[in-house]
Amino acid sequence: MRIAIRSNVKIAVVDDDKLTRDLVVNALMYCVNRDVLSFENGFSALAYLDTDKDSPDIIVSDVDMPEMNGLALLESIKKKWPSKICVIMSEDPASEKSASDLGADAFLAKPFKITDLFNIVQKYIVDTE
Amino acid sequence: MLRFGAGSSDMRKILKDDIFLLRLKLIVIMCKAYLHDYPMGKYRREAIIENARSVFDLLSQISSEYAERYGHIFNLQTYAESKGEKNLYFDVFQQRVHLLAVMAKALAEGSPMGYFRTKALKDNIDSICEVITFNSNVGDIKFLKVA
Repeated sequence: MRIAIRSNVKIAVVDDDKLTRDLVVNALMYCVNRDVLSFENGFSALAYLDTDKDSPDIIVSDVDMPEMNGLALLESIKKKWPSKICVIMSEDPASEKSASDLGADAFLAKPFKITDLFNIVQKYIVDTE
Repeated sequence: MLRFGAGSSDMRKILKDDIFLLRLKLIVIMCKAYLHDYPMGKYRREAIIENARSVFDLLSQISSEYAERYGHIFNLQTYAESKGEKNLYFDVFQQRVHLLAVMAKALAEGSPMGYFRTKALKDNIDSICEVITFNSNVGDIKFLKVA
């Protein structure tokens, strides 16, 4: 079985909590051996997606953020770019149904393990033949 | 929608203590992958150096009370009976983690390893994994074998 990391895959992490954001970026960067974009809030992430023609294919976003929360970001992304993969992170069980209703591809419940991030990479970023 | 992470009844905010343990486990995996000769690459090297720096920073912020709060995931009970002994063994554990951060940064920066440094790295990882009861089999993480 041949394994390869999807070529030219771009990932973005959106979280206002620096410790969590940096951890997720660090782990994903290590897994895929590519640069990973990071944003502190939904507005800046959405603005980047709007302007960059090589915008991220996979967005990992926290829910609880000021100004534009992760669910609002998810809704905007899925409306404009339905094929983009959206992974929603949250510590609130109530967010899970909301994320599902809005079309999230995956829900990452906090606290998570490093292996959860690896499983996300395996599911969405690794090609196997 | 796929689901990852904590069960619904276990969901809560991620604390700094959680971040420390996650980063420690990640640095163990990073070092084990190196010992297995998995490919590195520019971004993996950057990630290792960044993680080592973060582990070092977080380490200075936790105390021996950490072992008390998280006693269920620390295997210090095997070695220590009294609180004083637990604190001593936790101090040693902290030094080992510090050493691991230094080792990881060195290997990511391309410092020469050699037989004894490699053995010291393996021994340090084994000791740390005994305390945090972390059994990571990097062989199961197949995408680490490609870059």
